[in-house]
Amino acid sequence: MRDAGALDPATLDADVIVVGAGPAGSCAAIVLARAGKRVVLIERGPFPGSKNMYGGVVYPRILDQLIPNWWLEAPVQRWVTRRSTMIMTDDKALTVDFRCEAWGKPPHNGATAFRPDFDAWLADKAVVAGARLICSTTVTGLLHNEAGAVSGVTTDRPDGDLTAAVVIACDGVNSFLAKQEGLYGEFDAANYTLGVKETLALPKETIDERFGVRGTDGVDIEIVGCTGGVNGGGFIYTNLDTIAVGLVLKLPKLAAQKQRPEELIATMKRHPAIAPLVEGAELKEYSAHLIPEAGISMLPTLSGNGMLLAGDAAALCLAAGIWLEGVNFAMASGMYAGEAVVEALRAQDVTVSGLAGYQRRLEATFVLKDHRKLKRAPELVLSDRVQHLYPEFVTSVAERMFRVDNPAPKPGVRRIIAQERKRVGIRRRDLAADGVAGLRSFG
Amino acid sequence: MIAVCLKWVDRRPDPARAIVVAEPDERFAGVSAADQAALEWALRQRDRVGGEVVALTVGPSAAEAILRDASAAGADRAIRIDLAFGAPSRTVATALAGVVGEASTIWCGDYSFDRGTGSVPAFLAHDLGVAQALGLVAVEFTDAGIVALRRLDGGRRERLSITRPAVLSVEGSTALLRRASLRNLLASPIIERVGAGGGHADALHPVEARPYRPRPRVLPAPAGATALDRVRSLTAAGSATAAHGETVTLEPAAAADRILAALVEWGYIP
Ligand SMILES: Cc1cc2nc3c(=O)[nH]c(=O)nc-3n(C[C@H](O)[C@H](O)[C@H](O)COP(=O)(O)OP(=O)(O)OC[C@H]3O[C@@H](n4cnc5c(N)ncnc54)[C@H](O)[C@@H]3O)c2cc1C
Repeated sequence: MRDAGALDPATLDADVIVVGAGPAGSCAAIVLARAGKRVVLIERGPFPGSKNMYGGVVYPRILDQLIPNWWLEAPVQRWVTRRSTMIMTDDKALTVDFRCEAWGKPPHNGATAFRPDFDAWLADKAVVAGARLICSTTVTGLLHNEAGAVSGVTTDRPDGDLTAAVVIACDGVNSFLAKQEGLYGEFDAANYTLGVKETLALPKETIDERFGVRGTDGVDIEIVGCTGGVNGGGFIYTNLDTIAVGLVLKLPKLAAQKQRPEELIATMKRHPAIAPLVEGAELKEYSAHLIPEAGISMLPTLSGNGMLLAGDAAALCLAAGIWLEGVNFAMASGMYAGEAVVEALRAQDVTVSGLAGYQRRLEATFVLKDHRKLKRAPELVLSDRVQHLYPEFVTSVAERMFRVDNPAPKPGVRRIIAQERKRVGIRRRDLAADGVAGLRSFG
Repeated sequence: MIAVCLKWVDRRPDPARAIVVAEPDERFAGVSAADQAALEWALRQRDRVGGEVVALTVGPSAAEAILRDASAAGADRAIRIDLAFGAPSRTVATALAGVVGEASTIWCGDYSFDRGTGSVPAFLAHDLGVAQALGLVAVEFTDAGIVALRRLDGGRRERLSITRPAVLSVEGSTALLRRASLRNLLASPIIERVGAGGGHADALHPVEARPYRPRPRVLPAPAGATALDRVRSLTAAGSATAAHGETVTLEPAAAADRILAALVEWGYIP
């Protein structure tokens, strides 16, 4: 048990300091404040969400536990009722398109939302629950007590040190607080991708017409094979009167190819399958951000004495091909971190063992279960074959199946597949191995 | 008492807001750089000569956010005068005058971020019957009092020795507001709330919302033999621009007549 004096509320400025008012930080603060703890939520931006960017779709199912009927009040742009996966080469595209009308109705599935709206709304829930939100304040380091445990933070404000029994670092990808505490191993750029996004304005009716939706129904398109020689993927999401068009690019490849991300987006927008969707749109915003892409293989140590990591700071974003889910993993991990800290404070033990309830919760729920299940997915999806050979292979097979070559008779599908596999240069052995890996990853 | 008047505004640059009065989105709301400078000068004055800094705003309850920030930066008291957002400058000044009558110095920003006419400080000085020094680009505290530099047209400056009580409005470039300490931010300041007195919350209702277009100037027909000469004489292209103006010494009434005549001559009034 930790020295009781170190946990004496009278000697501490707060029970818990949460760094970063993104989805992870706000959910942690909501849980803690509702449990009656003194929580200070520190955000470097002028308001929560002001500095945050992402592709655009949140899957807030986990909020059922924190904010019942959240869909009645969450600041949503459109409810995703149509999901497409597009595999493309320079001049071809094959799309698998799925629609679900039920997702447009409560309790919904996913929604497009703007982060300055969504994060501000979520942080406000923490404030209403009793958390103190301090904005325009950057946490610059960690304080430690004589025993070496984390005991607070330093900030960039005058008189800016603040003490607490526990610090939850929710400061996003590349968390320097986690690094300062030695919770990450060696930095490896291969574990990260760069996400870049253009927000393009179009009238709502034009978006409805081009994407085949009505009212507040929306579309989520994930794309493979649109990133030039750089490994990665693309996305298009519909907001009410804007669309988000972006790419996720593997860092070492991007650096090696010396290609500029905005040029790659421009190339994608010129593709015959994309150009009609974005034609005439006005560029409103360009943004970029890192994504911890490597999943479980880059997972840091999630806790230290007096400290927990949640959300992207803990590399818990799930980036596995057709799934790019970070916000829900951040909200859930923040929530579980909050619960674990309440438990630890009750037991007067905020050492690593006192905070072990956090890891237990993550292991028992989708947060680490999904990561473990999909642990091979990031590597597979970003592999050279999936990125460069398979799109050509799949779209050529489709092209030959749909091509009418009269007077020649239709070739059999098996023959087309064999011929195209050979032409593209995929070894049967690799195809089989990737098939097994795919089944293992996603199955 | 040293008063500082702060206006709660939407800080996003949106020209439409200058003509359509809409309550700010709280996330983007705050005070202008000029109001921040005003607060900094008020705090510097107190640090030098003592006294108490009272931060005031006229607005709805959401505007209290800027008073909390002012308190965190060091203001000793904070007062919100309750009035709906978008009240006319005249009404705002009257409401402020009802509260700051005791102040020796009243600091304001030279204009707010939204409408930005700079008229509140002028109305306020008028209502209080005190001296005004508006549009200040530099301020200095001396043993004798406050000395300030005022911006005039044509890049000229006027040096003022300020007799108090006075209303001073400063430009944003004159001072950078000190950063509030974390302790002060965490403290919960007491915000006093007062009614607007005689003031009423009649928001501006523009009859027609359209961008500002200056009135056309009526000019005499240009002289010149050729079209090119006439265009040259109209635009003064190709010649060094002759500065308007002359210095004359006249009685006030004659001076006013001379100014009017010059404005007609230059085409500013028909
Ligand atoms: C291009 C791109 C597309 C994406 N698309 C999606 C998507 O469609 N759906 C999805 O679910 N996820 C998506 N993600 C992932 C998702 O954005 C993240 O997983 C999620 O935002 C993580 O939330 P978080 O709270 O952990 O961190 P963040 O959202 O990064 O929040 C961290 C907060 O901490 C603050 N902060 C940082 N450092 C400090 C400091 N020192 N002091 C004080 N405050 C600090 C920041 O200002 C920020 O508010 C995408 C990411 C990118 C980059």
